Amino acid sequence: MSKIEEVKALVEAGKSKKIAAAVQEALDAGDKAQDILDAMVASMSVVGDKFSAGEIFVPEMLIAAKSMSKGVEVLKPVMAGDTSNSLGTCIMGTVAGDLHDIGKNLVVMMLESAGFDMIDLGVDVPAEKFVEAIKENKNVVLVACSGLLTTTMPALKEAVQTVKAAFPDMKVIVGGAPVTPEYAAEIGADGYAPDAGSAAVKAKELVA
Amino acid sequence: MLSIKQNLLETIQGGNPDRFVKQYEFLDIIMETPMELALCPGPGTEIVNSWGVTVRWPKGQIGSFPVHDAEHIVLKDITEWRKYVKAPSVDYPEERWTAAIEHVNSVDRNEKYVTTLVAPGVFELTHYLMSMEEGLMAFYEEPEAMHELIDYITDWEIRYAKQVIDHLHPDALFHHDDWGSQISSFISPATFEEFLLPAYKKIYGFYKANGVELIIHHSDSYAANLVPFMIEMGIDIWQGVMSTNNVPELIKKYGKQITFWGDIDSGKIDTPDWSQEVIAQNVEHACRECGKLYFIPGASQGLNISSFPGVYEAIDVEIDNMTKKMF
Repeated sequence: MSKIEEVKALVEAGKSKKIAAAVQEALDAGDKAQDILDAMVASMSVVGDKFSAGEIFVPEMLIAAKSMSKGVEVLKPVMAGDTSNSLGTCIMGTVAGDLHDIGKNLVVMMLESAGFDMIDLGVDVPAEKFVEAIKENKNVVLVACSGLLTTTMPALKEAVQTVKAAFPDMKVIVGGAPVTPEYAAEIGADGYAPDAGSAAVKAKELVA
Repeated sequence: MLSIKQNLLETIQGGNPDRFVKQYEFLDIIMETPMELALCPGPGTEIVNSWGVTVRWPKGQIGSFPVHDAEHIVLKDITEWRKYVKAPSVDYPEERWTAAIEHVNSVDRNEKYVTTLVAPGVFELTHYLMSMEEGLMAFYEEPEAMHELIDYITDWEIRYAKQVIDHLHPDALFHHDDWGSQISSFISPATFEEFLLPAYKKIYGFYKANGVELIIHHSDSYAANLVPFMIEMGIDIWQGVMSTNNVPELIKKYGKQITFWGDIDSGKIDTPDWSQEVIAQNVEHACRECGKLYFIPGASQGLNISSFPGVYEAIDVEIDNMTKKMF
Protein backbone atom coordinates (compact mmCIF):
# COMPACT_ATOMS: atom_id res chain seq x y z
CA MET A 1 0.00 0.00 0.00
CA SER A 2 1.42 3.41 -0.95
CA LYS A 3 1.75 6.04 1.73
CA ILE A 4 -1.08 8.07 0.27
CA GLU A 5 -3.35 5.05 0.20
CA GLU A 6 -2.46 4.42 3.80
CA VAL A 7 -3.52 7.98 4.70
CA LYS A 8 -6.78 7.43 2.86
CA ALA A 9 -7.47 4.18 4.70
CA LEU A 10 -6.62 5.72 8.09
CA VAL A 11 -9.09 8.58 7.57
CA GLU A 12 -11.83 6.20 6.51
CA ALA A 13 -11.17 4.00 9.53
CA GLY A 14 -10.96 7.02 11.85
CA LYS A 15 -7.49 6.27 13.19
CA SER A 16 -6.78 9.73 14.57
CA LYS A 17 -3.79 8.61 16.64
CA LYS A 18 -1.93 7.29 13.58
CA ILE A 19 -2.84 9.82 10.93
CA ALA A 20 -0.31 12.55 11.68
CA ALA A 21 2.63 10.20 11.33
CA ALA A 22 1.18 8.69 8.16
CA VAL A 23 0.71 12.12 6.54
CA GLN A 24 4.25 13.09 7.47
CA GLU A 25 5.57 9.83 6.01
CA ALA A 26 3.66 10.48 2.78
CA LEU A 27 5.21 13.96 2.56
CA ASP A 28 8.64 12.54 3.30
CA ALA A 29 8.13 9.93 0.59
CA GLY A 30 7.60 12.72 -1.92
CA ASP A 31 3.80 12.80 -2.17
CA LYS A 32 2.48 16.29 -2.86
CA ALA A 33 0.51 17.95 -0.07
CA GLN A 34 -2.30 18.65 -2.52
CA ASP A 35 -2.56 14.96 -3.46
CA ILE A 36 -2.63 13.93 0.20
CA LEU A 37 -5.36 16.47 0.90
CA ASP A 38 -7.35 15.27 -2.11
CA ALA A 39 -7.05 11.70 -0.87
CA MET A 40 -8.40 12.69 2.54
CA VAL A 41 -11.28 14.66 0.99
CA ALA A 42 -12.12 11.59 -1.11
CA SER A 43 -12.08 9.43 2.04
CA MET A 44 -14.50 11.75 3.78
CA SER A 45 -16.74 11.65 0.75
CA VAL A 46 -16.85 7.85 1.06
CA VAL A 47 -17.55 8.19 4.78
CA GLY A 48 -20.40 10.62 4.06
CA ASP A 49 -21.94 8.30 1.49
CA LYS A 50 -21.73 5.34 3.87
CA PHE A 51 -23.41 7.38 6.60
CA SER A 52 -26.19 8.46 4.25
CA ALA A 53 -26.67 4.83 3.25
CA GLY A 54 -26.91 3.74 6.89
CA GLU A 55 -23.78 1.60 6.63
CA ILE A 56 -21.94 3.51 9.34
CA PHE A 57 -23.10 5.52 12.34
CA VAL A 58 -22.36 8.88 13.95
CA PRO A 59 -19.24 7.78 15.91
CA GLU A 60 -17.55 6.42 12.79
CA MET A 61 -18.16 9.74 11.04
CA LEU A 62 -16.89 11.67 14.05
CA ILE A 63 -13.62 9.75 14.28
CA ALA A 64 -13.08 9.99 10.52
CA ALA A 65 -13.55 13.78 10.64
CA LYS A 66 -11.25 14.00 13.65
CA SER A 67 -8.61 12.02 11.76
CA MET A 68 -8.87 14.25 8.72
CA SER A 69 -8.57 17.32 10.90
CA LYS A 70 -5.38 15.96 12.48
CA GLY A 71 -4.01 15.11 9.04
CA VAL A 72 -4.75 18.61 7.77
CA GLU A 73 -2.83 20.06 10.72
CA VAL A 74 0.31 18.38 9.36
CA LEU A 75 -0.35 19.70 5.85
CA LYS A 76 -1.11 23.29 6.91
CA PRO A 77 2.49 24.55 7.22
CA VAL A 78 3.31 23.01 3.84
CA MET A 79 0.28 24.51 2.13
CA ALA A 80 0.31 27.87 3.95
CA GLY A 81 -1.09 30.64 1.81
CA ASP A 82 -2.52 28.29 -0.80
CA THR A 83 -6.24 29.06 -0.93
CA SER A 84 -6.91 27.32 -4.21
CA ASN A 85 -8.39 24.33 -2.40
CA SER A 86 -11.11 26.27 -0.65
CA LEU A 87 -14.64 25.98 -1.92
CA GLY A 88 -15.34 29.27 -0.16
CA THR A 89 -16.70 30.21 3.24
CA CYS A 90 -19.85 28.69 4.70
CA ILE A 91 -21.72 30.27 7.61
CA MET A 92 -23.55 27.70 9.71
CA GLY A 93 -25.77 27.75 12.78
CA THR A 94 -28.74 26.20 14.54
CA VAL A 95 -31.61 28.67 14.28
CA ALA A 96 -33.10 30.84 17.04
CA GLY A 97 -34.83 29.02 19.88
CA ASP A 98 -33.10 25.72 19.16
CA LEU A 99 -30.17 24.50 21.24
CA HIS A 100 -29.44 21.24 19.41
CA ASP A 101 -25.89 21.12 18.20
CA ILE A 102 -24.92 17.53 17.41
CA GLY A 103 -26.36 17.42 13.89
CA LYS A 104 -25.06 20.90 13.20
CA ASN A 105 -21.59 19.95 14.42
CA LEU A 106 -21.56 16.89 12.17
CA VAL A 107 -22.46 19.02 9.16
CA VAL A 108 -19.73 21.53 10.05
CA MET A 109 -17.20 18.70 10.12
CA MET A 110 -18.37 17.18 6.86
CA LEU A 111 -18.43 20.52 5.03
CA GLU A 112 -15.01 21.39 6.38
CA SER A 113 -13.73 18.03 5.20
CA ALA A 114 -15.22 18.72 1.78
CA GLY A 115 -13.22 21.93 1.46
CA PHE A 116 -15.33 24.74 2.88
CA ASP A 117 -13.95 27.27 5.36
CA MET A 118 -16.52 26.98 8.11
CA ILE A 119 -17.77 29.75 10.37
CA ASP A 120 -19.79 28.05 13.10
CA LEU A 121 -22.18 30.49 14.78
CA GLY A 122 -23.28 27.88 17.30
CA VAL A 123 -26.86 27.35 18.47
CA ASP A 124 -29.86 29.63 19.05
CA VAL A 125 -28.71 31.95 16.27
CA PRO A 126 -31.03 34.89 15.45
CA ALA A 127 -31.72 35.43 11.75
CA GLU A 128 -29.87 38.76 11.69
CA LYS A 129 -26.70 37.11 12.97
CA PHE A 130 -26.42 35.04 9.78
CA VAL A 131 -26.55 38.28 7.78
CA GLU A 132 -23.95 39.96 9.99
CA ALA A 133 -21.65 36.96 9.57
CA ILE A 134 -21.92 37.17 5.78
CA LYS A 135 -20.86 40.82 5.98
CA GLU A 136 -18.04 40.15 8.43
CA ASN A 137 -16.40 37.25 6.59
CA LYS A 138 -14.65 37.00 3.26
CA ASN A 139 -15.77 34.91 0.30
CA VAL A 140 -19.00 33.64 1.84
CA VAL A 141 -20.66 31.39 -0.72
CA LEU A 142 -23.10 29.40 1.39
CA VAL A 143 -25.28 29.69 4.50
CA ALA A 144 -26.36 26.50 6.26
CA CYS A 145 -29.21 26.59 8.79
CA SER A 146 -30.10 23.70 11.06
CA GLY A 147 -33.22 23.10 13.15
CA LEU A 148 -34.24 19.99 15.06
CA LEU A 149 -37.48 21.04 16.68
CA THR A 150 -40.86 21.29 15.01
CA THR A 151 -41.39 24.37 17.16
CA THR A 152 -38.42 26.14 15.61
CA MET A 153 -39.45 25.60 11.98
CA PRO A 154 -40.74 29.21 11.80
CA ALA A 155 -37.27 30.39 12.94
CA LEU A 156 -35.74 28.37 10.11
CA LYS A 157 -38.03 30.15 7.66
CA GLU A 158 -37.15 33.52 9.15
CA ALA A 159 -33.42 32.79 8.91
CA VAL A 160 -33.65 31.80 5.24
CA GLN A 161 -35.83 34.75 4.31
CA THR A 162 -33.72 37.28 6.22
CA VAL A 163 -30.56 36.06 4.46
CA LYS A 164 -32.28 36.09 1.08
CA ALA A 165 -33.67 39.59 1.66
CA ALA A 166 -30.20 40.95 2.38
CA PHE A 167 -28.28 38.77 -0.13
CA PRO A 168 -30.66 37.52 -2.82
CA ASP A 169 -27.95 35.53 -4.62
CA MET A 170 -26.58 33.81 -1.51
CA LYS A 171 -27.08 30.06 -1.56
CA VAL A 172 -28.83 28.71 1.51
CA ILE A 173 -29.04 25.06 2.56
CA VAL A 174 -31.28 23.79 5.37
CA GLY A 175 -31.62 20.56 7.30
CA GLY A 176 -32.76 18.94 10.52
CA ALA A 177 -35.10 16.15 11.53
CA PRO A 178 -38.46 17.86 10.87
CA VAL A 179 -37.34 19.55 7.63
CA THR A 180 -38.54 18.10 4.33
CA PRO A 181 -37.48 18.97 0.76
CA GLU A 182 -40.94 20.48 0.27
CA TYR A 183 -40.61 22.70 3.33
CA ALA A 184 -37.13 23.76 2.27
CA ALA A 185 -38.47 24.82 -1.14
CA GLU A 186 -41.49 26.53 0.43
CA ILE A 187 -39.33 28.77 2.64
CA GLY A 188 -37.02 29.69 -0.23
CA ALA A 189 -33.95 27.60 0.56
CA ASP A 190 -31.80 26.54 -2.38
CA GLY A 191 -31.00 23.15 -0.99
CA TYR A 192 -31.98 20.54 1.57
CA ALA A 193 -30.07 17.60 2.99
CA PRO A 194 -31.46 14.82 5.19
CA ASP A 195 -28.14 14.07 6.90
CA ALA A 196 -24.56 15.28 7.29
CA GLY A 197 -23.18 13.04 4.55
CA SER A 198 -25.56 14.29 1.90
CA ALA A 199 -25.19 17.87 3.20
CA ALA A 200 -21.59 17.87 1.95
CA VAL A 201 -22.64 16.54 -1.46
CA LYS A 202 -25.47 19.07 -1.79
CA ALA A 203 -23.32 21.98 -0.57
CA LYS A 204 -20.70 21.27 -3.22
CA GLU A 205 -23.43 21.10 -5.87
CA LEU A 206 -24.85 24.46 -4.80
CA VAL A 207 -21.55 26.34 -5.10
CA ALA A 208 -20.27 24.56 -8.21
CA MET B 1 -64.91 -4.93 31.00
CA LEU B 2 -61.32 -5.79 31.75
CA SER B 3 -59.44 -3.90 34.43
CA ILE B 4 -56.69 -1.55 33.30
CA LYS B 5 -54.06 -4.15 34.20
CA GLN B 6 -55.92 -7.06 32.59
CA ASN B 7 -56.39 -5.05 29.41
CA LEU B 8 -52.68 -4.25 29.29
CA LEU B 9 -51.77 -7.91 29.76
CA GLU B 10 -54.21 -9.02 27.06
CA THR B 11 -52.63 -6.47 24.73
CA ILE B 12 -49.01 -7.40 25.32
CA GLN B 13 -49.66 -11.14 25.49
CA GLY B 14 -51.62 -11.26 22.26
CA GLY B 15 -54.93 -12.09 23.93
CA ASN B 16 -58.27 -10.32 23.75
CA PRO B 17 -58.08 -6.74 24.97
CA ASP B 18 -61.42 -4.95 25.01
CA ARG B 19 -59.99 -1.50 24.24
CA PHE B 20 -56.76 0.29 23.40
CA VAL B 21 -54.41 0.83 26.31
CA LYS B 22 -54.53 4.54 27.01
CA GLN B 23 -50.95 5.81 27.26
CA TYR B 24 -49.65 5.75 30.86
CA GLU B 25 -52.92 4.62 32.47
CA PHE B 26 -51.46 1.32 33.71
CA LEU B 27 -48.42 2.85 35.44
CA ASP B 28 -48.43 4.58 38.79
CA ILE B 29 -44.96 6.11 38.78
CA ILE B 30 -43.57 6.68 42.26
CA MET B 31 -41.97 10.05 41.67
CA GLU B 32 -41.25 10.47 45.40
CA THR B 33 -38.56 7.76 45.17
CA PRO B 34 -35.13 9.14 46.04
CA MET B 35 -33.66 9.84 42.63
CA GLU B 36 -30.28 11.46 42.67
CA LEU B 37 -30.21 11.26 38.90
CA ALA B 38 -32.63 14.16 38.81
CA LEU B 39 -34.65 13.89 35.64
CA CYS B 40 -34.41 17.56 34.82
CA PRO B 41 -34.59 20.99 36.37
CA GLY B 42 -37.68 23.16 36.05
CA PRO B 43 -38.03 25.52 33.08
CA GLY B 44 -35.60 28.42 33.32
CA THR B 45 -33.48 26.79 36.04
CA GLU B 46 -30.53 24.46 36.37
CA ILE B 47 -29.47 21.70 38.74
CA VAL B 48 -26.28 19.81 39.43
CA ASN B 49 -27.09 16.12 39.81
CA SER B 50 -25.26 13.87 42.19
CA TRP B 51 -22.85 12.74 39.45
CA GLY B 52 -21.83 16.39 39.19
CA VAL B 53 -23.54 16.98 35.84
CA THR B 54 -25.02 20.45 35.40
CA VAL B 55 -28.37 20.16 33.67
CA ARG B 56 -29.93 23.39 32.43
CA TRP B 57 -33.42 24.16 31.11
CA PRO B 58 -33.07 27.48 29.28
CA LYS B 59 -36.09 29.76 29.21
CA GLY B 60 -38.31 29.28 26.19
CA GLN B 61 -37.07 25.75 25.47
CA ILE B 62 -39.13 22.57 25.78
CA GLY B 63 -36.50 20.53 27.57
CA SER B 64 -33.23 20.48 29.47
CA PHE B 65 -29.66 19.92 28.33
CA PRO B 66 -26.50 18.83 30.14
CA VAL B 67 -23.91 21.63 30.06
CA HIS B 68 -20.53 20.73 28.59
CA ASP B 69 -18.49 23.91 28.44
CA ALA B 70 -15.00 23.79 29.91
CA GLU B 71 -16.25 25.06 33.25
CA HIS B 72 -19.01 22.46 33.68
CA ILE B 73 -17.96 19.26 31.90
CA VAL B 74 -17.40 16.45 34.43
CA LEU B 75 -15.34 13.90 32.54
CA LYS B 76 -12.46 15.68 30.85
CA ASP B 77 -10.53 12.61 29.72
CA ILE B 78 -12.08 9.17 29.32
CA THR B 79 -8.76 7.46 29.96
CA GLU B 80 -8.77 9.03 33.41
CA TRP B 81 -12.44 8.46 34.19
CA ARG B 82 -11.67 7.18 37.69
CA LYS B 83 -10.22 10.58 38.56
CA TYR B 84 -13.33 12.47 37.44
CA VAL B 85 -16.33 10.19 37.91
CA LYS B 86 -17.64 9.43 41.38
CA ALA B 87 -20.88 7.52 41.73
CA PRO B 88 -23.21 8.89 44.39
CA SER B 89 -24.18 6.88 47.43
CA VAL B 90 -27.37 4.82 47.22
CA ASP B 91 -27.76 4.63 50.98
CA TYR B 92 -30.47 7.15 51.71
CA PRO B 93 -31.73 7.92 55.21
CA GLU B 94 -34.94 5.98 55.86
CA GLU B 95 -37.00 9.16 56.01
CA ARG B 96 -36.16 9.81 52.36
CA TRP B 97 -38.29 6.76 51.53
CA THR B 98 -41.32 7.69 53.62
CA ALA B 99 -43.29 9.60 50.97
CA ALA B 100 -42.54 6.97 48.33
CA ILE B 101 -43.69 4.14 50.61
CA GLU B 102 -46.90 6.01 51.41
CA HIS B 103 -47.56 6.46 47.71
CA VAL B 104 -46.88 2.76 47.03
CA ASN B 105 -49.29 1.77 49.79
CA SER B 106 -52.04 3.83 48.20
CA VAL B 107 -51.85 2.03 44.84
CA ASP B 108 -54.36 -0.68 43.95
CA ARG B 109 -51.92 -3.19 42.51
CA ASN B 110 -54.77 -5.13 40.90
CA GLU B 111 -55.44 -2.12 38.73
CA LYS B 112 -52.05 -0.49 38.21
CA TYR B 113 -48.36 -1.27 38.29
CA VAL B 114 -46.31 0.32 41.05
CA THR B 115 -43.57 1.74 38.88
CA THR B 116 -40.11 2.99 39.55
CA LEU B 117 -38.41 5.39 37.18
CA VAL B 118 -34.73 5.54 36.22
CA ALA B 119 -33.38 8.39 34.08
CA PRO B 120 -31.01 9.06 32.51
CA GLY B 121 -29.86 5.61 31.47
CA VAL B 122 -26.41 4.08 31.11
CA PHE B 123 -25.67 5.41 27.60
CA GLU B 124 -27.15 8.80 28.41
CA LEU B 125 -25.05 9.09 31.54
CA THR B 126 -21.86 8.48 29.56
CA HIS B 127 -22.59 11.44 27.30
CA TYR B 128 -24.02 13.56 30.13
CA LEU B 129 -20.62 13.19 31.75
CA MET B 130 -18.42 13.99 28.75
CA SER B 131 -20.59 15.36 25.87
CA MET B 132 -22.18 13.44 23.05
CA GLU B 133 -19.30 13.78 20.60
CA GLU B 134 -16.62 12.67 23.05
CA GLY B 135 -18.86 9.91 24.39
CA LEU B 136 -19.54 8.49 20.95
CA MET B 137 -15.91 8.63 19.87
CA ALA B 138 -14.78 6.95 23.07
CA PHE B 139 -16.55 3.71 22.06
CA TYR B 140 -14.01 3.46 19.22
CA GLU B 141 -10.97 5.28 20.47
CA GLU B 142 -10.86 4.12 24.08
CA PRO B 143 -12.98 0.96 24.22
CA GLU B 144 -11.35 -0.43 27.34
CA ALA B 145 -12.01 2.73 29.32
CA MET B 146 -15.60 2.81 28.03
CA HIS B 147 -16.13 -0.78 29.13
CA GLU B 148 -14.82 0.13 32.57
CA LEU B 149 -16.98 3.25 32.83
CA ILE B 150 -20.10 1.37 31.71
CA ASP B 151 -19.38 -1.42 34.21
CA TYR B 152 -19.04 1.22 36.93
CA ILE B 153 -22.37 2.85 36.04
CA THR B 154 -24.04 -0.55 35.76
CA ASP B 155 -22.79 -1.56 39.18
CA TRP B 156 -24.18 1.68 40.60
CA GLU B 157 -27.54 1.11 38.89
CA ILE B 158 -27.83 -2.36 40.39
CA ARG B 159 -26.98 -1.10 43.87
CA TYR B 160 -29.63 1.59 43.43
CA ALA B 161 -32.11 -1.01 42.15
CA LYS B 162 -31.56 -3.10 45.27
CA GLN B 163 -32.51 -0.15 47.47
CA VAL B 164 -35.62 0.58 45.44
CA ILE B 165 -36.69 -3.06 45.43
CA ASP B 166 -36.09 -3.49 49.16
CA HIS B 167 -38.11 -0.40 50.01
CA LEU B 168 -40.87 -0.28 47.40
CA HIS B 169 -41.22 -3.74 45.83
CA PRO B 170 -42.18 -2.24 42.47
CA ASP B 171 -44.12 -4.22 39.86
CA ALA B 172 -42.70 -2.31 36.91
CA LEU B 173 -39.59 -0.43 35.89
CA PHE B 174 -39.79 2.57 33.56
CA HIS B 175 -36.23 3.12 32.39
CA HIS B 176 -35.08 5.91 30.11
CA ASP B 177 -32.12 5.72 27.75
CA ASP B 178 -32.34 7.36 24.33
CA TRP B 179 -30.46 5.21 21.87
CA GLY B 180 -30.96 7.09 18.65
CA SER B 181 -31.81 10.15 16.66
CA GLN B 182 -35.10 10.31 14.81
CA ILE B 183 -33.63 8.47 11.84
CA SER B 184 -30.85 6.20 13.11
CA SER B 185 -29.39 4.58 16.19
CA PHE B 186 -26.51 6.57 17.67
CA ILE B 187 -24.19 3.58 17.62
CA SER B 188 -24.05 0.54 15.39
CA PRO B 189 -25.80 -2.68 16.42
CA ALA B 190 -22.38 -4.32 16.83
CA THR B 191 -21.17 -1.58 19.20
CA PHE B 192 -24.46 -1.74 21.08
CA GLU B 193 -24.14 -5.49 21.43
CA GLU B 194 -20.61 -5.20 22.78
CA PHE B 195 -21.13 -2.36 25.25
CA LEU B 196 -24.77 -1.80 26.21
CA LEU B 197 -26.40 -5.21 25.83
CA PRO B 198 -24.33 -6.81 28.63
CA ALA B 199 -24.99 -3.82 30.91
CA TYR B 200 -28.74 -3.94 30.42
CA LYS B 201 -28.91 -7.72 30.68
CA LYS B 202 -27.47 -7.30 34.15
CA ILE B 203 -29.70 -4.39 35.14
CA TYR B 204 -32.99 -5.67 33.76
CA GLY B 205 -32.12 -9.21 34.81
CA PHE B 206 -31.66 -7.97 38.38
CA TYR B 207 -35.05 -6.25 38.45
CA LYS B 208 -36.80 -9.30 36.98
CA ALA B 209 -35.05 -11.68 39.37
CA ASN B 210 -36.35 -9.57 42.23
CA GLY B 211 -40.04 -9.46 41.47
CA VAL B 212 -40.37 -6.75 38.85
CA GLU B 213 -42.82 -8.10 36.28
CA LEU B 214 -42.68 -5.47 33.60
CA ILE B 215 -39.72 -3.68 32.04
CA ILE B 216 -40.64 -0.62 30.00
CA HIS B 217 -37.80 1.10 28.19
CA HIS B 218 -38.09 4.65 26.88
CA SER B 219 -36.18 5.69 23.77
CA ASP B 220 -38.04 8.26 21.67
CA SER B 221 -35.99 7.61 18.61
CA TYR B 222 -35.26 5.31 15.78
CA ALA B 223 -33.95 2.02 17.20
CA ALA B 224 -35.56 -0.63 15.00
CA ASN B 225 -32.12 -2.14 14.40
CA LEU B 226 -31.74 -2.71 18.15
CA VAL B 227 -35.03 -4.54 18.78
CA PRO B 228 -33.45 -8.04 18.91
CA PHE B 229 -31.19 -6.76 21.71
CA MET B 230 -34.14 -5.17 23.50
CA ILE B 231 -35.80 -8.57 23.55
CA GLU B 232 -32.63 -10.28 24.70
CA MET B 233 -32.13 -7.87 27.60
CA GLY B 234 -35.69 -8.43 28.81
CA ILE B 235 -37.63 -5.36 27.71
CA ASP B 236 -41.37 -6.05 27.63
CA ILE B 237 -42.47 -2.71 26.19
CA TRP B 238 -40.50 -0.20 24.12
CA GLN B 239 -42.04 3.19 24.89
CA GLY B 240 -41.45 6.16 22.62
CA VAL B 241 -41.08 4.21 19.39
CA MET B 242 -41.22 6.85 16.66
CA SER B 243 -43.04 6.46 13.37
CA THR B 244 -39.67 6.42 11.55
CA ASN B 245 -39.22 2.84 12.81
CA ASN B 246 -42.04 1.40 10.66
CA VAL B 247 -43.92 0.20 13.72
CA PRO B 248 -46.43 -2.02 11.88
CA GLU B 249 -43.52 -3.95 10.41
CA LEU B 250 -41.87 -4.28 13.83
CA ILE B 251 -45.11 -5.57 15.34
CA LYS B 252 -45.40 -8.16 12.59
CA LYS B 253 -41.82 -9.28 13.10
CA TYR B 254 -41.37 -9.08 16.88
CA GLY B 255 -44.81 -8.49 18.42
CA LYS B 256 -44.99 -11.81 20.23
CA GLN B 257 -41.77 -10.95 22.08
CA ILE B 258 -42.07 -7.23 22.74
CA THR B 259 -44.79 -4.57 22.67
CA PHE B 260 -44.40 -1.22 20.95
CA TRP B 261 -45.76 1.93 22.58
CA GLY B 262 -45.87 5.08 20.47
CA ASP B 263 -46.08 5.60 16.69
CA ILE B 264 -47.36 9.12 17.43
CA ASP B 265 -44.40 11.51 17.26
CA SER B 266 -44.61 14.24 19.90
CA GLY B 267 -42.86 16.65 17.52
CA LYS B 268 -45.79 16.44 15.10
CA ILE B 269 -48.65 16.90 17.55
CA ASP B 270 -47.28 18.52 20.72
CA THR B 271 -46.79 22.01 19.37
CA PRO B 272 -47.83 25.50 20.54
CA ASP B 273 -50.59 25.57 17.89
CA TRP B 274 -51.73 21.95 18.43
CA SER B 275 -55.18 20.98 17.30
CA GLN B 276 -57.59 18.18 18.16
CA GLU B 277 -57.97 17.47 14.45
CA VAL B 278 -54.26 16.84 13.86
CA ILE B 279 -54.06 14.69 16.98
CA ALA B 280 -57.11 12.72 15.81
CA GLN B 281 -55.49 12.08 12.43
CA ASN B 282 -52.23 10.91 14.00
CA VAL B 283 -53.92 8.67 16.57
CA GLU B 284 -56.23 7.13 13.98
CA HIS B 285 -53.35 6.48 11.60
CA ALA B 286 -51.30 4.81 14.36
CA CYS B 287 -54.18 2.65 15.61
CA ARG B 288 -55.29 1.53 12.16
CA GLU B 289 -51.75 0.76 10.98
CA CYS B 290 -50.52 -0.95 14.13
CA GLY B 291 -53.66 -2.77 15.26
CA LYS B 292 -54.93 -4.00 18.60
CA LEU B 293 -52.19 -6.36 19.77
CA TYR B 294 -48.62 -5.73 20.91
CA PHE B 295 -49.26 -2.02 20.45
CA ILE B 296 -50.04 0.88 22.77
CA PRO B 297 -50.94 4.15 21.05
CA GLY B 298 -49.27 7.14 22.62
CA ALA B 299 -47.04 10.14 22.12
CA SER B 300 -43.30 9.52 22.14
CA GLN B 301 -42.93 11.79 25.20
CA GLY B 302 -41.19 9.97 28.04
CA LEU B 303 -43.66 10.77 30.81
CA ASN B 304 -47.41 11.22 31.28
CA ILE B 305 -47.18 14.88 30.35
CA SER B 306 -47.04 17.03 27.25
CA SER B 307 -44.92 20.03 26.37
CA PHE B 308 -48.02 22.13 25.67
CA PRO B 309 -51.07 22.10 27.95
CA GLY B 310 -53.97 19.91 26.89
CA VAL B 311 -52.15 17.71 24.38
CA TYR B 312 -51.82 14.63 26.61
CA GLU B 313 -55.51 14.70 27.45
CA ALA B 314 -56.45 15.30 23.82
CA ILE B 315 -54.56 12.14 22.84
CA ASP B 316 -56.51 10.16 25.47
CA VAL B 317 -59.78 11.44 23.96
CA GLU B 318 -58.74 10.28 20.50
CA ILE B 319 -57.61 6.87 21.77
CA ASP B 320 -61.07 6.45 23.29
CA ASN B 321 -62.56 7.40 19.92
CA MET B 322 -60.44 4.77 18.20
CA THR B 323 -61.54 2.18 20.76
CA LYS B 324 -65.15 2.94 19.80
CA LYS B 325 -64.32 2.55 16.12
CA MET B 326 -62.13 -0.55 16.28
CA PHE B 327 -63.34 -2.67 19.24
